[in-house]
Amino acid sequence: MPEPLEYPKAMLTRATLDACIKCTICETACPVSAVTPLFPGPKFVGPQAERFRDGESVDHSLDYCSSCGACTLACPQGVQIAELNSQARAVMKEDNMPLRDKLIGQTVLMGKVMTPFAPIANAALGNKLVRTVVEKTVGVHRDAPMPTARLHTFQGWMKKHQPPASPRTRGPVVFFSGCAGGYFEVETSIKTVEVLEHLGYEVIAPKQGCCGLAQQSNGLFDEATKSVLKLCDQLRSGGKDLTIVSASGSCAGMLKHEAHEIMGVDEEKLHDVGTRMREISEFLLELHAAGDLPTDFVRNDITVPYHAPCQLKSQGMGMPAITVMELIPGVKVIESGRACCGIAGTYGLKKEKYDIAQAVGQPLFDMVKEKNEGIAVCDTETCRWQIEKGSGVKTVHPIWLVHKAYGLS
Amino acid sequence: MRTIDTDVVVIGGGATGAGVVRDVAMRGYRAVLLERADLAQGTTGRYHGLLHSGGRYVVSDPRSATECAEENIILTRIHADAVETTGGLFVSTPGDDPEFPDRFLAGATASKVPAEEISVGQALRREPRLNPGIFRAIAVEDGSVDGWQMTWGTVNSAKAYGAQILPYHEVTGIERDGDQVRRVRAHDHKNGEDVTIDCTFVINCGGPWAGLIAGLAGCHDVEVVPGRGIMIAMNHRLVNTVVNRCIYPTDGDIIVPVHTVSIIGTTDVKASDADRLTIPADEVQEMLDSGEAMIPGFRQSRAVHAWAGARPLVKDTRVSATDTRHMSRGMSILDHHDRDGLKGLLTITGGKLTTYRLMAKNVVDEMCQQLGDTRPCRTAEEAVPKSESGKTYVVTHRLEDREADRMEEQIICECELMSRKMFLEEMRGRPSANLDDIRRVTRLGMGPCQGGFCSTRAAGLALHDGLIDVGRANGLLELFLKNRWIGLWPILYGAQVRQTALDQWIFSGTLDIEHLPEPEKAVL
Amino acid sequence: MSMDSRAVVVGAGMAGLVSAIRLRQAGMDVTLVTQGIGGIQLGQGTIDVLGYVPERVLGQPLAAVTAYGNAHPHHPYAILSADDVRAGVEFLRALLPDTFVGDLERNYLLPTAIGALRPTALPQVTMAEGECTPGKQMVFVGLRQLKDFWPELVAGNVARTELPGGGRVSTRAAWLDLPARANEVDSTPLYYARAMDDPAYRKRFVDALRRVVEPGETVGLPGVLGLADRGAFADITAQLGQPVFEISTIPPSVPGMRLNDALTRLAKDARVKVVLGSQVLCANIDGGRIRSLTVGTTGRPTEYAGEHFVFAPGGFESGGIELDSYMKVSEPTLGLPLWVPEGDLVVADHNAAQPLFSVGVRFDHDMRVLDTAGDTVHENLHVAGGILAGASRWQEKSGDGIALASAVRAADAILESVQNLEGARNA
Repeated sequence: MPEPLEYPKAMLTRATLDACIKCTICETACPVSAVTPLFPGPKFVGPQAERFRDGESVDHSLDYCSSCGACTLACPQGVQIAELNSQARAVMKEDNMPLRDKLIGQTVLMGKVMTPFAPIANAALGNKLVRTVVEKTVGVHRDAPMPTARLHTFQGWMKKHQPPASPRTRGPVVFFSGCAGGYFEVETSIKTVEVLEHLGYEVIAPKQGCCGLAQQSNGLFDEATKSVLKLCDQLRSGGKDLTIVSASGSCAGMLKHEAHEIMGVDEEKLHDVGTRMREISEFLLELHAAGDLPTDFVRNDITVPYHAPCQLKSQGMGMPAITVMELIPGVKVIESGRACCGIAGTYGLKKEKYDIAQAVGQPLFDMVKEKNEGIAVCDTETCRWQIEKGSGVKTVHPIWLVHKAYGLS
Repeated sequence: MRTIDTDVVVIGGGATGAGVVRDVAMRGYRAVLLERADLAQGTTGRYHGLLHSGGRYVVSDPRSATECAEENIILTRIHADAVETTGGLFVSTPGDDPEFPDRFLAGATASKVPAEEISVGQALRREPRLNPGIFRAIAVEDGSVDGWQMTWGTVNSAKAYGAQILPYHEVTGIERDGDQVRRVRAHDHKNGEDVTIDCTFVINCGGPWAGLIAGLAGCHDVEVVPGRGIMIAMNHRLVNTVVNRCIYPTDGDIIVPVHTVSIIGTTDVKASDADRLTIPADEVQEMLDSGEAMIPGFRQSRAVHAWAGARPLVKDTRVSATDTRHMSRGMSILDHHDRDGLKGLLTITGGKLTTYRLMAKNVVDEMCQQLGDTRPCRTAEEAVPKSESGKTYVVTHRLEDREADRMEEQIICECELMSRKMFLEEMRGRPSANLDDIRRVTRLGMGPCQGGFCSTRAAGLALHDGLIDVGRANGLLELFLKNRWIGLWPILYGAQVRQTALDQWIFSGTLDIEHLPEPEKAVL
Repeated sequence: MSMDSRAVVVGAGMAGLVSAIRLRQAGMDVTLVTQGIGGIQLGQGTIDVLGYVPERVLGQPLAAVTAYGNAHPHHPYAILSADDVRAGVEFLRALLPDTFVGDLERNYLLPTAIGALRPTALPQVTMAEGECTPGKQMVFVGLRQLKDFWPELVAGNVARTELPGGGRVSTRAAWLDLPARANEVDSTPLYYARAMDDPAYRKRFVDALRRVVEPGETVGLPGVLGLADRGAFADITAQLGQPVFEISTIPPSVPGMRLNDALTRLAKDARVKVVLGSQVLCANIDGGRIRSLTVGTTGRPTEYAGEHFVFAPGGFESGGIELDSYMKVSEPTLGLPLWVPEGDLVVADHNAAQPLFSVGVRFDHDMRVLDTAGDTVHENLHVAGGILAGASRWQEKSGDGIALASAVRAADAILESVQNLEGARNA
């Protein structure tokens, strides 16, 4: 029998199962059990099964949990359902981690490997035959949405980049790109930096690695903890007490609460970074609430379907992107009302989960197809890839609209 | 009226009675067990679930300690499916007597109870919720045991040896022929029928009720004092090891992980009537304070149910009348031939669940001697049915079982993962059972929701299966909820209040249960 | 009205959602903070006004509200009038047109999922045919893969019940063996309801139903007749050609979910800013007024400032009120004073309405919280719903009437105060 994971915070998470009154609200919110009976549902594998666990996870069906967190978010009683599941899975996988889960967890590695050879990597991943081989050997589904590697990394751009000549009236902020924002979604990172600079901030982007989210969601807690703590050091090197802004909603969530709540990381540096972290829409909305956000926006008559990713919703701050986008004259946002796009980080990439992830996302894809006027909006990279692949509609970060409204694009 | 002819009648369907009837049957006698309610519904089912290592008695009662240590090994073998080998810890919490651990270790050596001191750090790694202020820790071989499952295993073994097991049969008379016991009369409550059993020997295993039973045979003044103890089940396993305070045995000094819950026990107060045991508020508070001493945050943890049990303690004039803990815990056999001039009646009482088999052996040995037989006891040699594999219980069993069959079977009680098949197997085997009878063997309604979700399912399923009619379905539901409430309202605080509010919302708000048509008759 | 007026509503049950929508409709900037999804879907999805006093209320529930309030000075209906209840119910009906039947002139008497006859003022349209009248023939149909609806229990108990005006319903039980999803034996009502949203499944369902239903029978089904597709019920009835009704089950209650989904959607579409998943930690007080609420968002707490606050966290069932291990009751979020009935809070009789659950806050007709002396606690704090003292909502079947009346009163009191202020400014 594997040793129970040894950290006190995991025990606290277990203690939240005391709040469960079996009311089934989490089950009604779960997007995975909605599409497959293979997953017994969050109440079952969470607070219910947890009472039967003794440092051992015998219920392998819990691996169908996508860790989207819709259950925890919906629970009116404060049970950390998704967190319990993540921990139980980490115990379960301790000894029999598939190679695939280890590979997917290594986001930086994938980005680093792909960047210098971007055209080849993209061609390879776009090639059906190559993807079939990948599926057979490591278990990533051949049709799963994969990132498009860029010729330049964000850091590469940042090095050459010249900030506007206007004075930096608002002082410095640290920008946290996240791996995807560093290697794949470079454009979103650039637009975010440009908006911040337009507002008068000096943007500092220290060298930064992976937050460990993908490893965490695959149950690799030790590796993930190392990653997140290293990242904390890197972000802290940008400057003491500075606000840290991110356009990667899920990575921001990892630093704000998941590393602590799911993995029990309880170090001061994480706390320091977590409390300073702002998702970009959240940051802009705070400025607006304080009367400090210029709203001299260029009109943009467009209706956009918007999907708030799970890991943004689970930050418990509502949907600031809707309010921010609707500050732009002419913009009308239609919120998806869907719990999850299906991808849930790396879940939808796996061959045995691919069909489930597509079924989870289907109502969202349909909604996006029906409501879009050329683009859809979503705050997190992997979700954008999933929505774009599922609906065929170009899907961008909310900052793209703001960037345009400030006349920057 | 039914009549039965047998050799030995055993009165009382707790662990001792079950052990006696098994022992008697294995020695080749014809035997009948009479129990006025359900098996193990009395003291056996109302305790904290500890399978003693003996540690608890190494200082206060070394002989009991040795017996416990020996029986622990035997029970783990013959009742494997009812026993979980959790291990135990004796820990000194801040303020506890610093001398006691050394006396404990010396006592353990003297009484041959395996015990090993471990470091505080080791203890905390093993049980991270323990009070970090503990200053000594001693590991012992405590386990936990499901008293109902053990008793059912015992009687199922007895049945295999030809014994008749008659629950819900209340003894109404014990008749003699001169100075020899000849007949026992009983009333079958489920069928409303009287039963006469002709026999040559009666063994009274009535526990706290043993004095009343002896009285039916005209043997008066058998004083058995019910020592009431309350226990509280906490919602989940706060510990996976039995945790004892390393002090002279006192109130609230033990937490036992049993199945999905952890049970804190217990108090010890002289009660006047073993049929009317209360769960006083001050004793609940005392338990919570003790829990807090062992596990900080205990008061914020969720209690799901409480109960009171009655220890049968034979009155011993050497101790004061109000302190039952220091009366004889050891087993007492009363020979009514010596005492009252009546042949063919023995009363056995006292003792502990852990030593039930030994008690049975001793009393049956005595019977054999009186009958002039030399038939050896074999109860230690053979495992009871379903324990033959020797594979002991682990808490993950049911989760594993449901993982295997949940695509084929509905789960009726979700908290305790009881499937439709499990319920129907029990209910079809005993169509006259009430839902509490089923609960004791399946754990129906014993989890956090305390019947909020599963009790209507159980009643509806039994009706659908044709086992009962709709009037009885209503009656069973009412009785089950009434009985659940007995153990709920005394510990209603914290998260269990939310649960109870939702349960009331379900039962009154949504189902309007209080306006169901009345059951046709009171059900049993 | 000026958009500068900001209201923060706490709680996403019936009271929270309704007051948030009403304030937003009046033009106010509204943020709704809630720890999770509200409790509407745990209930039965009807609008109960008053069903037992403790005798069953059949006619004129609003008149019963007045009489009950007069007789019980600590009950919410002693402060909330029949007019308030009517206003609350009518507001909800306007929000959710074509959802309910009933006119507040009488209570319907409908079978529950165990076959008791339960009074309610406004059932959903899908439930109306369940009304029990003498001589009616009903067949209750169970689903083999659903464990929360046993037709023998419903049919048996309904048949055994003497109707209020005399007479009985004749009943029968039947079963369908039709999984909600392939290879699933243990479905909740939700999975059936989702299946019923699919017209192809509905057709298969009605085909199966036709084989067990006899002419002249009214068909009672568990509450699974569609979730997102509001046409599902009408379609099933039309295809079968016989009257059909559904009965709410224990949670998850699909009729309750429909109400929750519809109200949540209305609130979001109206741009009530819904902050889901965060708990209110405390209020920041300035003079006799609340300036902001501190909310435990991830990373660090966030302050939500406002001029007006509606507090609708529910009662004990949601942790809106707590009882600790020392048996002390408290309102844990804002520390509001509580009204506690005299005598034991928990009693040994399991059938009694436990006095504990009538603990709550006292309030005036503007839904402001009152302390024990009868003074207002915070000028700009209004309460609504299950946190109100004095009711035994589940036994009385009064929860929705109290929630709606108090939610609309709370919103209107805020709007009136803003108008008064603006009027004063303009003058």
